[in-house]
Parts: sequence; structure tokens; C-alpha cells
Amino acid sequence: MQTFGITKRFGDFTAVDRLDLRIRHEVFGLLGPNGAGKTTLIRMLVTVLSPTEGTATVAGADIVREADKVRERIGVVTQASTLDVELTALQNMNLYGMYYGIPRKKRQEKIQSLLKVVGLADRAKIPVAGYSGGMKRRLEIVRALVSEPRVLFLDEPTTGLDPQARAAVLEYVKRIHKEQDITLVITTHYLDEAENLCDRLAIVDHGEVVAEGTPTELKRKVSGGDIIEADFALLPQVALDAMKRADFVLGIKKRDGGLTILVKNGAEAVPRLVSLVDSSGGKLRTITLRELTLDDVFLEVTGRSISEDTNVTQNRLARALQRVRR
Amino acid sequence: MKGSLAVCLRDIQKFLGQPALMLSTTVGPLLTLILLGSAFGGAITHAPIAIVQESYGPYTSSFIGILQNEQSCQLGGINCQNSFQLIEVPDLDTAQQMLHQGLVKAIVLIPLEFDNSLAANSKVTVTVTLDNTDPLSTAAIGPEVAQAGQQLSSLVQTSPAGNSNMTFDLEDAYRNVLYIEFMAPGTFVQSIMFVSIIAGGVQLVVDKERGIIEGYLVTPLKKYEIVIGVLLSGVIKALFAAVALFVLAIVLAGIRPMNLFPSPNLLGIALTMFTLFLTSLGLIAMMTAYAVRSTSADLYRVTCFPINLTLYYTSGAIYPLDGMPTWMKQVSVINPETYAVHALRLLMYKGAGLQAVAGDFAFLAVFTGLMLILAIAAFRRAI
Repeated sequence: MQTFGITKRFGDFTAVDRLDLRIRHEVFGLLGPNGAGKTTLIRMLVTVLSPTEGTATVAGADIVREADKVRERIGVVTQASTLDVELTALQNMNLYGMYYGIPRKKRQEKIQSLLKVVGLADRAKIPVAGYSGGMKRRLEIVRALVSEPRVLFLDEPTTGLDPQARAAVLEYVKRIHKEQDITLVITTHYLDEAENLCDRLAIVDHGEVVAEGTPTELKRKVSGGDIIEADFALLPQVALDAMKRADFVLGIKKRDGGLTILVKNGAEAVPRLVSLVDSSGGKLRTITLRELTLDDVFLEVTGRSISEDTNVTQNRLARALQRVRR
Repeated sequence: MKGSLAVCLRDIQKFLGQPALMLSTTVGPLLTLILLGSAFGGAITHAPIAIVQESYGPYTSSFIGILQNEQSCQLGGINCQNSFQLIEVPDLDTAQQMLHQGLVKAIVLIPLEFDNSLAANSKVTVTVTLDNTDPLSTAAIGPEVAQAGQQLSSLVQTSPAGNSNMTFDLEDAYRNVLYIEFMAPGTFVQSIMFVSIIAGGVQLVVDKERGIIEGYLVTPLKKYEIVIGVLLSGVIKALFAAVALFVLAIVLAGIRPMNLFPSPNLLGIALTMFTLFLTSLGLIAMMTAYAVRSTSADLYRVTCFPINLTLYYTSGAIYPLDGMPTWMKQVSVINPETYAVHALRLLMYKGAGLQAVAGDFAFLAVFTGLMLILAIAAFRRAI
């Protein structure tokens, strides 16, 4: 799968800006805050939206000129559930198979084996309305596999699930990738999810790819090293300046109540940092050493934390809801 | 108590927040008042009547003249209009044909000896054949023709006993049709309309809101396949509802359609089914087009209610079109339910064949075609 300067504008707003991506036979993650253009990109790739400029090939077919072929070769799990909850799992899957014109016998065999994969075989004959959120999501994922797609798009597959259900869904997604020999394209804003699921990742912000690579590569991009989270009871400007000049410090970011400090080697850096703060008249409250995560990468390349962004999204959602109520 | 106030306030605030819902609580009853009130309150006017004139002379001319000028008035004697619209027909056969096709409501046969008998001051009988499949119209027409006869009698010599020489023989053209039977076809059509609103339409708006339609679009399904699938399922559901109601009306309400009783008439049954099918397809396409263009399921539901009432009341389903004020008649002319109800009545109570209902079929076919085009266009644009 490859995109060629794919662009989507809505009026003056550019949602996706001349984006070039290459996705191999792998689990590929699209990471980014809400409104970054992930969903717009996916909607173009699955032929629901047509690009303003540029194009892409998906599973060997052009999304503009050969949209029909693309649709035959892909599976899509959208963010909002599209299950018919009045119908049973079997009925839901059977209908989906019919949309793709899969012969009856093959369809039924495929459905049975897929339901087993996600542990729903014994609940297949009850209406989906009686399923838990996690079960529904699992069903949606295997429903998209009835047609044996070459590429499966998962748009935020674990949003809205509790941690247990999330873990189960992720487990199944991994299994599916192994057993079904399929390319997975996943959008998410859970960094841990992206880190342990994806072979490669692209971080999208303002409609552009700001970083791309394996999770390890991306982490290395942030100059390699460890992270020290330090909270201060007292932090004079001298102390901050001293830290900035210190040779073991690679970068400093201020955050609420403290600093996030990128260092070369955590084990060596902690004692040196402590003495440096002491000698310049500062007072530490807590100090934590941790490994670099994708969140730090995200912070580095977009200038903000993804968790902050989630809050923004939630506020926006709350405001939107209020508007609706009015 | 404070709690009750809060709950009450909440409900009222929510109610005020939905002007469409608020409106629908008054629009429905208002429509019923105006449409039903105007129909039932109105006298039968301009009822088409075939005159078969076998006698020619002054008495016949004055009798026709009196019929022509016969007026029907609203209660209180205001807003009077001609009761009849006379159509002169050369012979009884043609007139009966017209009655059978629903083109006239009654036949007045003025016999050969009419003028001579009256001139000779002897008795004469005028035969009035009534289309009694429309019990409300015929109940008004019979007495009014007789009244015209009395007026004529008062102008000419009467027998020594002071009795009129003219008698009227009122004949029913068909077996007695009860009002409940007259009303039944409209009910079948309304069940189709209900299915069109609930099944075809709302389902689609809800699917659109839930993103299921977008889910369809990432599969190899073509848009036209989706439209056809939606329409087909709607027609099946509507036909099921209409046929179920038909059977229940026979079993529970004692309806006795001629195409089934005393013995089933296959052509009649087939034509009845075809009428129901054409009506279903047309109404479902209409509501699908409307639903796809609707922005919200709530608004759709609220507006469907008055649409349904208007179509039902102006279709002649519960009161004959002859009794409606002109503006209602104008609505009924473009109302597809009018033609469906008309065709069903002919088929069910007159045992009519294809020729009699061809006009109704033609209108329904054109309407259905237009609505299909509209539905497909709406689908393409909205999705």
C-alpha cells in the first residue's frame, strides 16, 4: 500500500496535506491526536472520500480509478459500531459475506472458524444486543475478515473499552495478523497499544507525517537515552540554567509542577542531577527514572503530549454535546 | 415536592427545546379537524349521474332541467352548489358500463312513455340505479332525485287524489355494501403507508445516523444495489401488512369482497395484489426519498404524521370525494392513495376487470416511476 501526495481539503481547511506513506505486509499504526487527519486519511484509503489531490494504491489497486477492486480487497472496522444489534452474530457475519458475494458453503465455513478465533462460537446464536462492548468489537473485527481481505483497516479498535476488554481485543488482533496473513492498518491514540502491536508507525499531525519508523527507531530518533521526571520544591533560575548546560542532559521540557529531562544514561545521570540541583540552591521533591516511551516521541515531534490532547478532545466533545442538548 | 418541580421543569424545558415535536401535537388534530370536518360536513355535490333519455318532450326537458338545477347546501343553507353533474348517455348498456367503472354514481332512466303518460295523467315509473358500493353518496342521491320528481309533479297535473303520477324505483346495482366495507380499502392503503414510514424510512435515517450506510459503502455493494434492496424489503413488509389486514378484515370485520366471495376470482385477486404492490412500491419510494434527505430521525418522524393524515383523509377512504369541498378534491386528484382506494373498491365490490382500473393503474405507475427516480437521486446525493 502506498500513497502519492494524497491531499484532502475541506474548503480552506487542509485535513491531509501531500502525504506520502508506504505500508508493507505488516501491522502499521497511524498515531496522532484527534483532528490530525488520521480518520480522513483512512476514509480516503477505503474509498469513502475521494482525495482532492494525489492518490494511493491499496492492495494493488488505485483508490480513485479502481475503487471497486479496492473495496473487494479490504476490510474495514469503523470507529462507530455498524453491527445490527437486533441480529445474531451469525446473521451479522452471513450478511456481510453476502455483500461480498461469497458462496454460501465457503461463507459458512469461514464464519464458523472466525467465530472460534475470537471465542464467540458458543454465543453466535444470540442477538448482538446482549453482547458486552468487547465482544461486539471482536465480532466486528472478524466480520470484516469474512471476505478474506488483504488489508484490514481498524479505526481506533479499542476506544471506549475497559482495560480488560482492550487487552483481549489486542490479543485477538495480534493472533489474526499471524494466522490470517493480512496487512493491518490501525489508527489509535493509545501509545502503549501502538508500541506493543505495531511493526511500524507513522505519527500524523496537522495532516502531515511528522515521524515514521518502528517503535524502536522512533524512540531512537529522540536522540536515544532515558527520561528523568523531576518535581521541585524549589527551582531557582540558576539551577535550571545549570541543568541546561550540563553535558549529560540532552533536552528539557517544562511540564506542570516539574521537568521532563532527556538524558544519555539514566543510571549515571540521576546522582549527577541531584548534586547539581543541590549545589545551585534548588530543592527536589521527587525524582523518577524511566525508559523512553512513544509519548516522549510524540511530545518531541508534535510539541505536545498525546494525553493532553485527549483532554482537549474530551472538552470539545463535552461542548459539542451541550450544543446538541440546547 | 421540590423534586417533582425539578422533574416537571426538566420535561417542559426539553419539550420547549423541540419545536417540531411541539407543533406535531397540534398539527395532527388540526388537520383532522379541517380535513375530516370539511369532508363530513359537506353535502354531496357534483355527483356524476348518467341520464338515459328514451322519451323526448316537454316533461322530460323540464325534469332534466330540474335535476340540473337541484342544489345541495351546507347545513344552514349556505354555500349551495349543484347536486349533480348530468351526463347524457345514449343507452342503458353504456350507462351501466360507466357505473361499473366508477365514472357515474347513478343512472336515471327516463322511460319511453314518460311524456305521454304524464300528458295523459297516468302513472309512470322512473328507474334510478344506484352505485351502492358508495353507501354515503347513494344515500344522498336517491332522495334528491325523488325530490326533483316532486317538483316536476307540482308543475304538472296530478291525479284526482292529489298523488303524484310519478313514482321512483330505486335499484341497487350491487349487493348491499356496508360502510365498514366501503372504508376497508383505505385501511389497507394506510397500512402500506405506515410500513413505508416506519420500516422504509426511519430505518434508513437511523442507519445513516449510526454510520451503517457508510459501512455499506466500504463493501463492494453498489449504491443502486442498496436502493433496490431497501425498496424491495419495504415492499415485502408493506405487502405482508396489507395482506394480513385484508385477511383480518374478512375474518374479524366481516368484509366480503366479491373477488373472494362467494367464489374466488383469480383475475380479481391478481389485480388486487397488483394494486397493493404498485401502491407499496410508490409510497415506499416516496418515503425513502424523503427519509434519505431528512437530517434527523426525530424531524422525519414528526413530519410523517401530518403527511400520512393528509393523504388518508383526502383519498376518499372514509368519505366519498363528491362530498368534499373543491380544495380537498384538488388535493385528492394528485394523491396516489385516491387511485389505490378507487381501484381496490372497484375490484373488491364490483368484481371489476382490468379495463375498469386501467386509469388508476396508469396514475399509480407514473407516480411510482417518478418516486423511484426521486429516491435514487436522493440516495446518490445524500450518501
